[in-house]
Amino acid sequence: MRDAALHEPGQALHVEDLTVSYGTDPALWDIDLDIPPGVMCAIVGPNGAGKSTLIKAALGLVRPVAGHVRFLGHEIGAMRGRIGYVPQRHSVDWDFPTTTRDVVEMGLYRSIGWFRRPGRAARDRALAALAEVGMQDYADRQISQLSGGQQQRVFLARALVQDAPILILDEPMAGVDATTEAVIIDLLKRLRDAGRTVIVVHHDLTTVQSHFDWLVILNIRIIAQGPVRDVYTPENLRAAYGRQLAMIAEPAGALP
Amino acid sequence: MTALAELLATHTVRVVLLGAALLGAISGMLGAFAVLRRQSLLGDALAHAALPGVCLGFMLAGARDLGSIMAGAFFTGALAALVMMLITRATRLKADAALGIVLSVFFAVGVVLLTHLQAQGGAASAGLAGFLFGQAAAILARDLWILGGVGLVALLLVLAFWKEFKLVSFDAGFARAQGFPVTALEVALTVMVALAIVAGLQLAGVVLMVALLVAPAAAARQWTRSLGGMVAVSAGIGAASGAVGALISASARGLATGPVVVLVATGVVLVSFLVAPERGLVPQALAARRARSRISAARVLAAMQDLAAAHDDAAYKAERGMIGVALGAAPPADRLASLEREGLIRPVQHPPETTPHWELTRAGRAAERPGPEGRIDPGPATPEEGG
Repeated sequence: MRDAALHEPGQALHVEDLTVSYGTDPALWDIDLDIPPGVMCAIVGPNGAGKSTLIKAALGLVRPVAGHVRFLGHEIGAMRGRIGYVPQRHSVDWDFPTTTRDVVEMGLYRSIGWFRRPGRAARDRALAALAEVGMQDYADRQISQLSGGQQQRVFLARALVQDAPILILDEPMAGVDATTEAVIIDLLKRLRDAGRTVIVVHHDLTTVQSHFDWLVILNIRIIAQGPVRDVYTPENLRAAYGRQLAMIAEPAGALP
Repeated sequence: MTALAELLATHTVRVVLLGAALLGAISGMLGAFAVLRRQSLLGDALAHAALPGVCLGFMLAGARDLGSIMAGAFFTGALAALVMMLITRATRLKADAALGIVLSVFFAVGVVLLTHLQAQGGAASAGLAGFLFGQAAAILARDLWILGGVGLVALLLVLAFWKEFKLVSFDAGFARAQGFPVTALEVALTVMVALAIVAGLQLAGVVLMVALLVAPAAAARQWTRSLGGMVAVSAGIGAASGAVGALISASARGLATGPVVVLVATGVVLVSFLVAPERGLVPQALAARRARSRISAARVLAAMQDLAAAHDDAAYKAERGMIGVALGAAPPADRLASLEREGLIRPVQHPPETTPHWELTRAGRAAERPGPEGRIDPGPATPEEGG
């Protein structure tokens, strides 16, 4: 049942009344969320706040008990292939016998279609995507030989190769080196400037203001959402992180 | 040699060899996917759970008919998989406990049925015991058609859905986000593994079948750098293990095929773990030793650079004992010799002293220093470092 009329087509991501539950405790409770197109948005919140669950539910990887999700007005089923997804690096076995380029080509499998093999065009696009993340010299390297930061860049290239208008990244800066973080942020900012929407599950409050222009603060419920300068306030952070905050960041000093 | 040639000349032995190679190839090919998807233990449970099905198939057909036996084995194997899934969903038991329970209960039912059938007697039921530990000699010429058919179907499916199977095996979450029917693909792969097990029961038996699934894949991973290579090499190792095991078991009386096949395949695994280039333990130990020797030479060089810097004299002439004090131990003569051969240092005289001295060459002064602890990339961990 495709929706004939678009619902909230003005929002890159529109979430309404979304509730997800593992067992009896809700992982996400009554989420209403709008992320406009062309922003670079961080989703932050303490451990167990449901950040990853939120994007998994949005992508249809987790079944919500209530609510609905739209991307640019479409249901997720109609947007497959137009959303670049970068899962957490640790979600796969990096000892899998394959090369860096092969992993990036996986981002094209959907557009290649059933019963066909990736050809020269796919190869060239994969190499171009690897060049964008500075990994062109590693194209034929075994993925088991990559460092954590390199793995993350390969995953990003696999999403880039789809040329999707919306990019969703799950903790891309977790445990990567400074070079990789700089490469990723520069690239994401260029994509944002080119009109893409970039949504990042982020864990480092100290870099929110320098890296992002839109912010969602989450702790099971939505604590706050909007432009970073309006939302990144001590009150909001305290509401989300409570006593943990002192250990994570010094918001008062960091704020204007 | 002549005994082997005689053995090979007989029709029965050729059938057995062909069948064993075919079964080994099928298990090896699909085992590669099972191992990469961490389904090895599920394979073990399916194999054990196939025993009651073997007996049921025999009872229904009233004879040792491979088709009905395989159908029965597949049926109870699938039933076991379903029960495992229900247990993990409906109770607090984790997957490993559910697997252990289901494996033993189904196997117990199978053994009860088996002993019951054997007690009833009949020439045909005697052959059923062969399904416990495998009996390649029981493979008949007409069985080859069934096994060949299973192998062909599996091969065609793997080729047709190659990139989808690869994607699902590597990153099922990403595949789902891309809109691939991941559940259907995963079920297809699991069903194919179950088919490989059911087909392989004759060769390896329900108890040891899992080794025929896991061992070729584990060995193949050591030698290959791509999924295609791994699947192909795994099929080859499976075929060779099956054929060699069947041959050994056929040439001696009363030697169950399964254990022999498992021992042969395990031998291949052992050799692969030891000597495979890049991933083998021996090449890795050699590489670590080479790395250590590089570190030592690099530390010698760094010590000389430090001495030169401390004396504010790029051409500082260092005596061996001086370098030794700087390093904490006298550098082995071959380190200095190798640095000399590389053109990084050169021997010099420093009169009135008569002892040998060395100074940095232009290349030696410019050479890159090792990391802060004086160590260059130590390479893979070695036993003495890890101890």
